Amino acid sequence: MARDDELVNIELRHEFENVLIEEYWLLDNSQFEDWLDLLANDVRYWAPVRENLTRGEEDFTRADLLTHFDEDKVTMGLRVARLGTGFAHAEEPPSRTRHFISNIRILDATDVNAVKVGSNFIVFRSRPGHEEHLFVGTRRDTWVRQTKAWRLQERLIIFDHDIIENITVFV
Amino acid sequence: MSDFSSLVDLERCTVSPRVFTDQDVYDAELTNIFTRTWNMVGHESQIPEPNDYLTTFIGADPVLLTRDANGKLRAFLNSCRHRGMRVCRRDHGNTKLFSCPYHGWSYDTSGKLRGVPQLDNAYHNDLDRDEWGLIEIPKVESFRGLVFANFDPDCESLIDYLGDMAWYLDIVLNRSKNGLIAFPGCHRWRLSGNWKLAAEQFSGDNYHAGALHRSMVEIGLGPKGDYRGNSPWIRDFEVKCGNGHGWINFDAEGAEPAASQAAFFEQIRREAQQTLSPAQADLILTVHVGTVFPNMSIISFLGFTSVRIWHPRGPKEMHVQSYGLVERDAPQDVRDITRKAMGLTFSPSGIFEQDDGVAWGDIATVQGGPIRSQYPFNYQMGHGHGKTMDDKPGLIHPPSTEIGVFGLYEKWHEMMS
Repeated sequence: MARDDELVNIELRHEFENVLIEEYWLLDNSQFEDWLDLLANDVRYWAPVRENLTRGEEDFTRADLLTHFDEDKVTMGLRVARLGTGFAHAEEPPSRTRHFISNIRILDATDVNAVKVGSNFIVFRSRPGHEEHLFVGTRRDTWVRQTKAWRLQERLIIFDHDIIENITVFV
Repeated sequence: MSDFSSLVDLERCTVSPRVFTDQDVYDAELTNIFTRTWNMVGHESQIPEPNDYLTTFIGADPVLLTRDANGKLRAFLNSCRHRGMRVCRRDHGNTKLFSCPYHGWSYDTSGKLRGVPQLDNAYHNDLDRDEWGLIEIPKVESFRGLVFANFDPDCESLIDYLGDMAWYLDIVLNRSKNGLIAFPGCHRWRLSGNWKLAAEQFSGDNYHAGALHRSMVEIGLGPKGDYRGNSPWIRDFEVKCGNGHGWINFDAEGAEPAASQAAFFEQIRREAQQTLSPAQADLILTVHVGTVFPNMSIISFLGFTSVRIWHPRGPKEMHVQSYGLVERDAPQDVRDITRKAMGLTFSPSGIFEQDDGVAWGDIATVQGGPIRSQYPFNYQMGHGHGKTMDDKPGLIHPPSTEIGVFGLYEKWHEMMS
């Protein structure tokens, strides 16, 4: 990598660290409508199921593989609207969540207006009673620059769970 | 063997909370129920070729479902005869030999013990390999692609076991000419709560939807109205099918399907005229929910079909394993719509299903105390009000009723006495 590219990479990494921290700040503070605004109108937010197979055989792009999420802006809007009704019992009283992000990596910045960013996450969820869960995994995002702000165009979420808890959180 | 019959009062239609909390009840269920019933273990389309396999569970026992080298469906305990480790720890695949990771005993897809390391110098060639094959589940039968297994060699046939339930399952599984196949992968998630709470809800509890799924009503996606539906007895009804099975049917006004899906639905409607009776064909593509006793449930609407097992994991915990089914002939865009609808609604993240898990978990958390355990749960709704009808089998009542739900406990009572 040329030295100029390295500098661009460092700057972008710093920029997206801020973007991703801001995003998780919104989620931890139940600002779901504001979080929804970060999603591009043509967003794909998806999370394939995991399988226990021989090393190298697991293929997230396998046709028709079941998904925990495969959402567009409309269905993400439904998920957010549900939380605002006061009757989404899985989140009422709401979970205490804390979103952590690390290992941020610029995967592809060939197009400076559509940057692919990788990151790892841990989400802690505490529910009424002594029910505490972790959601752990990695994400591969594509962020596009729109009217001077970054919008999430695609997020592939790879959960590191075989048998997962029910997923009432956004990651 | 203990007698748990007093925990279900057949006259008053009540069930003791102990049925959902006690370890001794749970332990007895594993033997009395899960070794004597037909349990779904997979779908034929998941293992189409010779030597294909998948792994699952029946009750507490690990199961290996194979298609042997001759193409015959067979089921075994997924456990080495030497020390008991699972001989296969993958979800699915194709192999000629399952080699136990621990000491290397290896078995073929017909369960025969093929390889034993150091058979000569360690066993002195004194081991009868015919005697030490995988433990085979004696009965394996299919219904419309769904594969079931039964540990009881003297059991009734699967079709007799399903009884009236087969007529209702056909409304989904036989509505199209070339039938349904399974999507790759499956949803697997952990829930607190007794497995029967999930099974009973799918067997005939429409009553919960207005309260538990109120958030969906509020955003305009839940069933509206008074739950008797627009056509009570006709398309809006619940069924006690006998043998512990139950079915819910209702004709929900939903979102308009996308053009491609609407066109595909028209194709299915035409095909159903050939594959089903007129009474069944009239019901296709409404909302269908059901439970095959003990712990397999089905939910089908918006074109998707989830078949799931509520695997018991102790009296207060279950693992859900849900497969998605779709028409073999569905074009790619219809498959995509179907898969996405299932994830959005009935899956670990499903905006209906999330709330169900919380109800079952809460019941598990707060039950078991000495005082609450003395007061039984009420299953009296609609008792004595079901009726038989000429056009469809079973005992029928429009929503809401608990005749189907209590039918599950009548069967449970019979098997636990």
